[in-house]
Amino acid sequence: MKIKLNTQGIFLPFAALVVSVGLVGAVDSTFLKPSVLINLFADMSTLFLMALGLTFVIMTGSIDLSPQAVAALSSVVLALLLPSWGYLAIPVALIAGVAAGAIAGVVFAILKIPSFVATLAVGGITASLTLFMSDQRAIQLDTQLRASKLDWAIGDVFGLPNEVIVAAIAFIVMLVIERATPYGKAVRAVGFNEFAARAAGIRLLWIKLSVFMVAGFMSALSGIVLAGRLAAGSPTIANEFLLPAIAAVVLGGTALTGGTGSVLRTLLGVMLIAVFRTGMNFVGVDVLAQQIVFGLILVLAVGLSINRASSETVK
Amino acid sequence: MLELKNIVKEFGAFKALSDVTFSVKPGQVVGLVGENGAGKSTLMKILNGVHQPDGGEFTLNGEPVALNGPRDAAKRGIGMVYQEQSLIPILTVAENLFLGNEDRFIRYGRIDWKAMGKAAQRFLEQVEIDIDPFTETGTLSFMQRQMVELAKVLRLQDMTDGDLYILLDEPTSVLEKEEIEILFGVIRRIRDRAGIIFVSHRLDEVIEVSDQIFVLKDGETVRILANPPLIHELMVGRSAAGSYYRESERRAPLDEVVLEIKDLGKEGEFKKVNFDLKAGEVMALVGTEGAGIEPVMRSIYGLETVDSGQVKFRGKDMTNPSCSEAVFAGIGYVPRERKTEGIIEPMSIEENVVLPNLPKMTRFGLIDFPQIRKATNHLFGPLRIKAESRLAPCSSLSGGNQQKVVLAKWYNTGAKLFLLDHPTRGLDVGAKEDVFDLIREICGNGAAVLLIADTLEEAIGLSHRIIVFRDGQETARFDNTDPDVAVTPLDLVGNMV
Repeated sequence: MKIKLNTQGIFLPFAALVVSVGLVGAVDSTFLKPSVLINLFADMSTLFLMALGLTFVIMTGSIDLSPQAVAALSSVVLALLLPSWGYLAIPVALIAGVAAGAIAGVVFAILKIPSFVATLAVGGITASLTLFMSDQRAIQLDTQLRASKLDWAIGDVFGLPNEVIVAAIAFIVMLVIERATPYGKAVRAVGFNEFAARAAGIRLLWIKLSVFMVAGFMSALSGIVLAGRLAAGSPTIANEFLLPAIAAVVLGGTALTGGTGSVLRTLLGVMLIAVFRTGMNFVGVDVLAQQIVFGLILVLAVGLSINRASSETVK
Repeated sequence: MLELKNIVKEFGAFKALSDVTFSVKPGQVVGLVGENGAGKSTLMKILNGVHQPDGGEFTLNGEPVALNGPRDAAKRGIGMVYQEQSLIPILTVAENLFLGNEDRFIRYGRIDWKAMGKAAQRFLEQVEIDIDPFTETGTLSFMQRQMVELAKVLRLQDMTDGDLYILLDEPTSVLEKEEIEILFGVIRRIRDRAGIIFVSHRLDEVIEVSDQIFVLKDGETVRILANPPLIHELMVGRSAAGSYYRESERRAPLDEVVLEIKDLGKEGEFKKVNFDLKAGEVMALVGTEGAGIEPVMRSIYGLETVDSGQVKFRGKDMTNPSCSEAVFAGIGYVPRERKTEGIIEPMSIEENVVLPNLPKMTRFGLIDFPQIRKATNHLFGPLRIKAESRLAPCSSLSGGNQQKVVLAKWYNTGAKLFLLDHPTRGLDVGAKEDVFDLIREICGNGAAVLLIADTLEEAIGLSHRIIVFRDGQETARFDNTDPDVAVTPLDLVGNMV
């Protein structure tokens, strides 16, 4: 049986990726060395995990502004509990993320507060909570503890960093959910036309709520891997992640209006962001100035993806 | 004089108006009647400049006009009374009346509110409502807001040199009886300032207030006059030899009761609705717009909630279900608005068809792709869907084929009750035939059908029983299976209006 991947509309981001890799490679050929590229993949894995979760939310036509707060929460929960609870701290940190997502989802889907406000508010609350829990400082992870309990996330297998493997597994699972489960079809259906989706018997509220739980889970996983990499849980660990994460999803071609989109596109989007970032480092753009570029990219990507002529008002 | 001659309006392959001739003079109230889909609203939109005609002549005092939107129409003195949606609730009545035309009240760069209030008062007097022009519009009653709408249109007389024409589209549909009387009084008094076009589903009202009546049917003007019993006949037409009359193909229902409705009621929509529906039976609900039949259907499916009464489906209570519960229990809904609720246009035919049934078509939690392919292919033939492939997006299909996809969706779930809300709306003759065949086939397979038909002939031709509604209540019930007594559209109309 021939499996047909829906590749429609994916050409543009893919071409952009090839061109930008080529450009950066032309400026500095060391960029194209396998070891450099693998490191690049490892560096972008945490951003990718976060963007993966965001993809489903954006595919339903909503937005999640809380992922960096959720990632910080899970990193702090992990750092606090790991010494005494051991491995159990990992699922607890993940559950904390899912719970934050569920609360945002309830505020959005049940209380019918726009997702933009719901996640901004819940994100703010989560961030404050994290500051309290951590006493406003980074909680260092013991080297030995980190090596024994978080090796799955930060070690390597035959030279391949585990971050890349974790991200790859998460990607494949999300891709399968998106393409081959009733849930994935329902997410797309809700994004395209929630009235028709409801009339087709899809549990609208559940879909709208649960995508935020998926996003919470992915952000929490991202926070755990980050804590492993940086050997600490911190309330500011994922700061500066939100903008590139949303930019990555949109840059890949997932439409903010819902429906059109895929985690496959998000993979391309994150790669593009990673190449831009590396390129900026090579050219010598200040790290502090990089958010300016991501902001511009976001506006540009959204501007290209929606047909503004056809929509009379933009809110 | 405003005149339309042989107006044609097409939407793609669908001819909304094929030959409409119409005229109105200042000082005249003209009624416009016709069934759903006869082309009334399209005609109103042409008069109002929203649509441009594809053929025929549109003249104003003998000069041809081409209107470029409602604003342009207003400049020439043609104004439409909307059902309140053109008023902004947080502005005052005076502000609403002069919205976009405040220039004349500007003194030294600021608005002279006193002058505006005075001017507003003058128009409010013409429609005979006694309200302070500085009242916030949102605090007014529905009736008052409608009068403000009317005053807003009357204001056009200051802006044009020529005559004023006022379009009133279903102005009475939400008014109480006394309020209707007030409205009619106002209409009679303002008629010497304007030509008035009055559209309503309620024939008695049209007859009461109009000097002349135009009857529309299937996009054509059928007759121009004012004789009540004849109007009934003209509205439905006499071509009883419609293709759906195939009594030979009609089968008797089974004994199994699928749906029981007891004393169902919803505040402001319908009350005391009672009926049973058997397997293999088609029951048609008939009524004008606002008679409450659509809310009844939608509340069975969980799209609206009822306040009282009970719905039993296959012996089990199913009052106020969620849509997914209704689907799971075996109910399928074909909505009136196909593109909003029926299909998801960007998704493929296959995805649309299997969407409600997907959870059942999985293996180990993953979609069983060979199975859904088989199911979809299996439906293509009998449903006569014409498309490039099952993977084509639904947006590429014609209206008729989209509707077949909606029907296929419920066919595939094996639904035991089909709720069909205007299933042939906007379809051409061939596609209608296919849909009729499908409805018969669905019944033949033992499912029950609750039908809100596009025309009365359709309701009669397809159904075993017919219930007529007026103002949210049953007014008559017809057994359509008795070979000696033929139900005619005229019988139904008499109970509808």
